[in-house]
Amino acid sequence: MSIILEARDIHFRYPREGREVIRGISFHIRKGEKIALVGPNGAGKSTLLQMFNGMIRPSTGTMLFDNKPIRYDSASLRDLRRRVGYVLQNADRQLIAPTVWQDVAFGPSNLGYDDEMVGKKVADALRHVGIEGFGRRPPHQLSGGEKKRVAIAGILAMDPDILIFDEPTSDLDPAGSEDIMELLEELNHEGRTVIISTHDVELAYPWADRAILLLNGEILREDRPEVAFGSPGLVRKAHLSVPALLDLSLELGRRGYSQPERKPRSVLDMVEIIENLLHGSRWNRVPGTITVCNVDEDRRSLASCVASREDLAIGTMGTRAKQRAQQEQLPVEFHYGVIDKCILRALRGKDSLILTTNSMAGRVTLRVEAYCRESGNTIAVIPLKPAEQEPPAATKGNAGEGEGGYEE
Amino acid sequence: MFETLLDDIAQESAFRHIHPGTKLLLGLGSLVICLVSPSPLVPLLSGIVLSCVLVIPARVSPVIYGELLLGPAVFTVISVVLLFFLLGGGAVIWRYHPVLWIDLTLTEGSLREGILVLCRVFGCSVSLFFITLTTPMTDLFNLMKRARVPVELIDLMMIMYRYVFIFYEHAKEIYLAQKMRLGYGSPKESLRSLSSLCGMLFITSWNAGEDLIRAMDCRCYDGAFPSFGQVEPVRARSILPVVLYLLILGVIGFMASARIVKLP
Repeated sequence: MSIILEARDIHFRYPREGREVIRGISFHIRKGEKIALVGPNGAGKSTLLQMFNGMIRPSTGTMLFDNKPIRYDSASLRDLRRRVGYVLQNADRQLIAPTVWQDVAFGPSNLGYDDEMVGKKVADALRHVGIEGFGRRPPHQLSGGEKKRVAIAGILAMDPDILIFDEPTSDLDPAGSEDIMELLEELNHEGRTVIISTHDVELAYPWADRAILLLNGEILREDRPEVAFGSPGLVRKAHLSVPALLDLSLELGRRGYSQPERKPRSVLDMVEIIENLLHGSRWNRVPGTITVCNVDEDRRSLASCVASREDLAIGTMGTRAKQRAQQEQLPVEFHYGVIDKCILRALRGKDSLILTTNSMAGRVTLRVEAYCRESGNTIAVIPLKPAEQEPPAATKGNAGEGEGGYEE
Repeated sequence: MFETLLDDIAQESAFRHIHPGTKLLLGLGSLVICLVSPSPLVPLLSGIVLSCVLVIPARVSPVIYGELLLGPAVFTVISVVLLFFLLGGGAVIWRYHPVLWIDLTLTEGSLREGILVLCRVFGCSVSLFFITLTTPMTDLFNLMKRARVPVELIDLMMIMYRYVFIFYEHAKEIYLAQKMRLGYGSPKESLRSLSSLCGMLFITSWNAGEDLIRAMDCRCYDGAFPSFGQVEPVRARSILPVVLYLLILGVIGFMASARIVKLP
């Protein structure tokens, strides 16, 4: 993958302030990567992020975008800011217009699009983040999560290649945070590079492709999350904590239980490890199936398809899938980390259904296949069939009944 | 949360989807007729009709509406009682003259004037409430843009509208924080707390201003502040009744004034 953003030995100090905030940072980010910039408060995360779209100019050193040094004349900056979208930490500070529609239209209007184009961009962006019909509302009437979505829509309306989020979940409740992380996942799957800053390691650990640990304006470590967060000394030095799953794996390792090369990134990985420790071999129960339905193509009534399957757990991936489930009043069990949770369920011999959007449809098969290859299990991924052709679920679905040791 | 409340009612009003111009025509039209009518009958009638329109088809809660009316009512009643005894003319109806320096006289002229003022205030307040409770600020901005009000002015108003709520929330937080630490215990302490609240609010708004510029820059600000594209069409079934109503009100006013001209 080609490099889209690069920093070469950048330093920065605020004018009239003696201390250097950024002290010699070099790194690069590839197209389509998910990057988590992790560090304690005051480590320089926000300052660094603001350099990505030219809000702050490094005192020395070079920032490169698309392999060209960033130029700081106003025309180049406008182009840069169109392509590098920045979502501020405080949504209230980002929303500037009196209605949601006007706020989302702010970027496109300033890019000089005509009215029709602006209308289309706004409608698309609002649909994308799942807040259609909010256009007339003033921002102060919205909840925290809704405000965040409007802020994201305002950036998406400019159609950027890179999305930067400063502390995307800092003022959201846990369910709201998961929704936003799921949205980031979706945006990434459409080919956008996503960079977040956070001090929430539990959030960054399963999500990121790469983590950059920042302390006092310097990069402490830059690697895959399981490596970057894997050294307790380093993590403590950065005023962070080791993610619980990684901690558990390290502790098991210290007690002499053999640990695989690849550290666990999710509950699924951890379950696999524990299963192996307990049974010495893989799960010997008949696994359940995962049914996939692409809501963008499938216009049938899903409610009737799943009505006869009470044992079926439903998970949604993507904004439109969530909306569809809401429309049809389907009981959704999984909103975030859906594929892993469905695999876990299949391992217990139970079936699940994943509603997904076009952009995420292929991912289910890929992830399940990757898992099967690694673990040696076989889990079938099947497309949703009409109700009458549905195979009788009872024979397979009951295999795991009565165990009940693990509940989501 | 009073100021949020008014705007919230307007946002959720059943008249939300009527063209704001139609609503403004009704509100401002009846306001002008109430003001120029020399007879108390017209503003009284207008006030009652518009109140009924607000409560029944527009579905404003009668309790909230009543509370809103109570504000101007208290003020008006006190003023009108004063007017009764200040103004004069015509036959004396009632007089209270207990001691030399107290002489309260109620005359026919002062009674008529007082009642006219009372009715006018009622009619005009209801007209204004009609606009406030059915037309959100955001629609008014839109209308202003169409009425060729200078864009710079509207942009500023929109930003102010957006930030009023943020600063109000912030002021409330500071006030609560001060109150929790007994900041308003004595008059002296209250004064000190209030001054620090104002100072804090000033600093906050200064910072918010800088953040605003940054947020606008992030989104390629180039002088354009979009206006809301979708506007409801002017519909005959809403504009015709309004015009008809205003005509009837005008005719009643004209007839009443003609009769009053004949009276003396």
